[in-house]
Amino acid sequence: MRRTVLTALALAGTAVLLGTGPAFASETATPSPAPTAAESTPEPEESTEPAASAEPTRAPADANPAPDDEPTRAPAEDQVSVVPSGAPDTGVTSASSASDSGFGGTAAGAGAAAVLAVGGGTVLVVRRRRATGA
Amino acid sequence: MTTFSRRAFTTAALASLLTACGGQGSDRPTPDAGTTAPRPQSSPRPGPAEGARPLARSVPVRLLVPAIGVDTPVIRLGLAPDGTVRVPPVTADDRAGWYRHSPTPGQTGPSVILGHVSVGTYGDGVFRHLARLRRGDRIVARLENGTAVEFAVTAVRTVPRTHFPVDDVYGNVARPELRLITCGGARTGDGYADNVIVFAALSGAESPTPGER
Repeated sequence: MRRTVLTALALAGTAVLLGTGPAFASETATPSPAPTAAESTPEPEESTEPAASAEPTRAPADANPAPDDEPTRAPAEDQVSVVPSGAPDTGVTSASSASDSGFGGTAAGAGAAAVLAVGGGTVLVVRRRRATGA
Repeated sequence: MTTFSRRAFTTAALASLLTACGGQGSDRPTPDAGTTAPRPQSSPRPGPAEGARPLARSVPVRLLVPAIGVDTPVIRLGLAPDGTVRVPPVTADDRAGWYRHSPTPGQTGPSVILGHVSVGTYGDGVFRHLARLRRGDRIVARLENGTAVEFAVTAVRTVPRTHFPVDDVYGNVARPELRLITCGGARTGDGYADNVIVFAALSGAESPTPGER
């Protein structure tokens, strides 16, 4: 009899302990400030997303990863038929580089050709005159 | 007594189980509420209209960017002998240029328009303030057929010229998009260290009325 009563009590005690185990475990989790604080760290990641798209507009030095609204890849054939190489040079800091546009270079070439043509013509005329003995 | 002890055992076991379950159940909502409450999903951004339809091919003749006071004719640009894209000529009346191997504005794909940030002794270029654009700003391209194609800025990026994102700028896209490109960043002896790239997506189009052109 005593044995049965004692076993029953022992079993009940262990059951209670088993029951309180998880309760303690969840209580340790109840310092929810800690987990929530830990979970709040991923938040900045989310919040950095919008910031990422806004940042590049402010900080010129930042080469941020591609904003999410950027190119949605299409499986179709190429839309830009010829892809240029390198970066375009769209900033001219001095007038001397005005020839970068191609216009200055063409003008200089045309001028040099005109000078050569006039010079060549003069030489021909002088030679002919000398040959004729004039 | 045997029956008594059995009953006592059963009641004790049940009671302990109930308390354990009850304890857990009461604890759960708190962390759940704690974790779900402060986690707001990233709010949907006011992006460009999704249903904007691609347009037929028509060359751009004018570009307007009201937020930075740009209203410029658009010329056509090809490739330089070294394989880089040509840029508009350096003149007092600086203009923007459309890269003719890219789709026209409103066609599916990335339409590319370039402009100077500065034109030497002539002063500011047509895209001087391109980096000031913000998400949602309006860009209008007027086409040869009279259509006004409207885009909304989706992103503005400043990248080192040595790491120009060729794929992001010229790569295929599934909708009509626009790229405005100029130079920016620190000024060096013979140019600029960075490129400013504005990414925009089609938001609408206005066809010419019969009276117009």
